[in-house]
Amino acid sequence: METMLIFVLSLMLIFGFVAFASKPSPVYGGLSLVVSGGLGCAIIVSLNSTFLGLIVFLIYLGGMLVVFGYTAAMATEEYPESWVDNMVAFSMLLLSLLMEMVWLMVSGEVEVVMAVELFDSLGNYCVGQDWNGVSLLYGCGGWAMVLLGWILFITILVVLEVIRGL
Amino acid sequence: MLSININLIVAFALALVGVLIYRSHLISTLLCLEGIILSLFILITLLITHFHIFSISILPLILLVFSACEAGVGLALLVKISTTHGNDYIQNLNLLQC
Repeated sequence: METMLIFVLSLMLIFGFVAFASKPSPVYGGLSLVVSGGLGCAIIVSLNSTFLGLIVFLIYLGGMLVVFGYTAAMATEEYPESWVDNMVAFSMLLLSLLMEMVWLMVSGEVEVVMAVELFDSLGNYCVGQDWNGVSLLYGCGGWAMVLLGWILFITILVVLEVIRGL
Repeated sequence: MLSININLIVAFALALVGVLIYRSHLISTLLCLEGIILSLFILITLLITHFHIFSISILPLILLVFSACEAGVGLALLVKISTTHGNDYIQNLNLLQC
């Protein structure tokens, strides 16, 4: 069970994706996207990339999905449609399970790589290196940081112009 | 190919199909777009961890920045449509029908 943890998490991620891809009422879609984001973070953290898992929780769930949650809460309706009478959800679920069965029969076994070594074959130290990789954005990639800041600023102006009516 | 990658590609395909089909609300399409971005984020992070290419660890962050811009513009369009028609139903967007 311990060695199959990442595979089970990715399987539950597929179920979470089925839950919002079948497009129920937006409140249920936002909820299942939050659950999928949490499962994705669990997959990433299980492979020792802790910084990128933190980024998923803080920026993705805590930044972008909060905005979606408030917007969906403003547009709520009296009888929100859930997954009960939803033919799209049922057929997506069946197709994804069929896809898993076909994959298991073709490949023969489920192989999950959970080994994260301390040193790789070249002798590089590779636990916790994603923190060091992101620090490149501040170091030699400083121009990328300035460019991204400029892009975000221009996006604010674009959004204000769209709202105003251009 | 590893099993996790197959599962994530299936998740990406499910969210892509979710963007392309029409049900009642427009905001559900924007949520499926966010699902696409999430699956791409996890796929790139798995690539980084599996092959130890930690130099491209900034790529998921850059992807999230552009995804935030995209979500912002999408929500601005949604608010404009909601102001014009009163709700965000897709059946109201019928100006281009023949």
